[in-house]
Amino acid sequence: MRLARMGSFHQTRLSFMRSLLRRLKSEDWKFKRNLWAIDEQGFGRAVYTVYGPERAYSLVAFSHDLADEMRSDRVIATAWDATFALFDGIPDEADLDRLQQNVPKQEAGRISDTELSLSRANRSVRLWQHVVECLAAGEQPDREQVEAVGYLVRTTAVYGSGKFGAADRLSIADRAEVSAPFQAELLSVWLTRAFSLDLVEHIARARGGAQAVAIDSELRRRFGVGNSTGLGMAPFLINHPALLNNWMMAREEALARVRALPQADAVAIDDFKQHFERACFNLAQWHSEHPIQIEKLAALRTDLESMRSYITRESLVGDHPWDRFYRWAEANLSLEGQEQLVALLLEPYGELVDALTRCMDADEHLAFFIDGAMPIARLREIIESQCRWAIQVDYEQPENRARFWYTSAEKLEPRVGERFEETGAEYELPLAVGFDIKQMYAALKDWQAQQTSAEFLLAHPEHRHTARRVQNLAIRPYAEIQDNLIAADMLPIDILRCKLSFFGATKFDPRSDRWVRICMYQDAPFPHELLAAAS
Amino acid sequence: MSYRLTLAETESYLRKVARACGLDWGLAEEAGKAARWLAAFNLPGPEFMLAHLQQLAGMEYRSFMPQGSAQPWRASGGLLCPIITGAALADRSAQMLDGEVFKLGPTAYPLLLAATVGQAARCHQTVFTAAWAGVRVSCFENGLSIEGNHDDLLLTRVDAVSCQQDDLSSPQQLPSTLAYVIDEDIVKRIEELAFETCAPATEASRAGAGAGLTDND
Repeated sequence: MRLARMGSFHQTRLSFMRSLLRRLKSEDWKFKRNLWAIDEQGFGRAVYTVYGPERAYSLVAFSHDLADEMRSDRVIATAWDATFALFDGIPDEADLDRLQQNVPKQEAGRISDTELSLSRANRSVRLWQHVVECLAAGEQPDREQVEAVGYLVRTTAVYGSGKFGAADRLSIADRAEVSAPFQAELLSVWLTRAFSLDLVEHIARARGGAQAVAIDSELRRRFGVGNSTGLGMAPFLINHPALLNNWMMAREEALARVRALPQADAVAIDDFKQHFERACFNLAQWHSEHPIQIEKLAALRTDLESMRSYITRESLVGDHPWDRFYRWAEANLSLEGQEQLVALLLEPYGELVDALTRCMDADEHLAFFIDGAMPIARLREIIESQCRWAIQVDYEQPENRARFWYTSAEKLEPRVGERFEETGAEYELPLAVGFDIKQMYAALKDWQAQQTSAEFLLAHPEHRHTARRVQNLAIRPYAEIQDNLIAADMLPIDILRCKLSFFGATKFDPRSDRWVRICMYQDAPFPHELLAAAS
Repeated sequence: MSYRLTLAETESYLRKVARACGLDWGLAEEAGKAARWLAAFNLPGPEFMLAHLQQLAGMEYRSFMPQGSAQPWRASGGLLCPIITGAALADRSAQMLDGEVFKLGPTAYPLLLAATVGQAARCHQTVFTAAWAGVRVSCFENGLSIEGNHDDLLLTRVDAVSCQQDDLSSPQQLPSTLAYVIDEDIVKRIEELAFETCAPATEASRAGAGAGLTDND
């Protein structure tokens, strides 16, 4: 998969937020706000619990008094409007007191094996104030302003999987409800959204008294949760090749199944058209100030008009209508438009594709194994057949190795540097996959075809990381981003968008080539709407 | 003071420590996995890995690697590195599956070697056993068995190790997923070394990570 396409992905039925909510609904989970100890200014703590067939999970939320000048989405921030942990079960007072000592500190605190995630959020200053003032005065917020921002709070990091003391991923890997990727983290975000709406209404009530109103339920749905994501997330897909492979395989398999359908019935066509109209509506709400995204959105606008003409002209009946539609899109639409169509094609066919979400987790350890018996000839063959994208690049050209990935000593987060302009290339992380493959390919030339990978790697430990990746490609064809990740024109936001689209994010709004804002759960039901109340 | 180091942190830190001490990333990954694996059985993988890696720092890789193919394998510097050698043995899993027994000469931290080879047991759904002095450590697909003198687990160097596939049916111990309790001073040293893989901040790195626009809206 190439970066430009990955950077045009849209959320689909397979996205993890949607599979999470489908499960909560189908398994008849229950919901209860178990604690609301928030004062009139909006500060204090709260607990939101969802109850599943076997286990309960609780979002523990702390709301803080944050001076405006302290509010920053950068990972270098040290204080936030609200901080959260997802607790495994239902916390007691002692748990809450322990968490209160640590969660507000985020990276500087420690959580424990009973916490599944650690996160924080900042308010959208302009929308928060507007909503509080309107509700306190007995009025509804202005719809245009709500839709222009799309959220009351923005999460700026959601940590899980053993980070900062949290429970190890393996401790929950055998639980059906959270075994799929990022389910615990995305459950915490869904509950965070509910908390943000409850909090704004609480503050408005405290301020406005009897005249204050709650947000109308239909408008309330238009509030999602924002997220601001930078380079910290980018290496994840490169460092989890088995997972990336499985996500892509599920997506490609889902698309192939729909394209293979010989006919489309009236119900499916109608469903498709409804989702098409929704995509048009969403596009109208999708804004960006970044030149790259402005251009992509303009292309998508044109693409949706072309799609509308196609739907009218072709009427989607006849032989293999979805395959024909997709082939037409490949020839006539931008990547944004093609990927929007991929998402739309899956919508009418939940029964056909939803179960693929069960294949989207991965045991990364299995991709770690090196087959030392593999002959050098086979190693070369894999590179020549599956890594043309890596070895055809001329890395002697400065623009083809202009960047390097490293971890910043200041914030312990991944960064991208300019190799020929900045210091620090000696700290390079092994993320220059294409370059490294070509280096190994060159080293293999001195070896005999029948010699083994084991012999080669004992003599050349510097290629061990790359040999692992190359061998993995033989059985996991989608495991690598097939692009030059150190090129001068590489856009980290493409990697971010790919990952975030699998999460289920919308409204991608790059703020630079390496930082993107998104919206999550916009229009999704709230816990009290989707789930019955727990007793 | 004790400290709770999660298994994910154990792997991540020790991978970086291995890199900081001179191993290439591919071998550093093996070091991280082996340390994590041992910690999951409440064995001193992180402590041993730190101690061994500090000995490796500044030394020549070739002096710790097995020389030639004749057994027992020996290192020109006197002691085989358990990570380099363990990875080389894992790469020869097919030969062990065919019944070959590998004999090693003097080896540092044989427990680390057992854990490094053991990573391949999971992929092959088999059991690999490393034996030294009076102890046999068997790594299962998802478990561990120890036979013999448990004190010998903690030997920091031994004269001979053997490594082979085994046909044991079930492990004595299953791995924990809970955090590993470790001395806080050792964690500090691990953090210090791991930190050496990070690039010092520059104005360019500070400016490059985020947006050129304001954070707030």
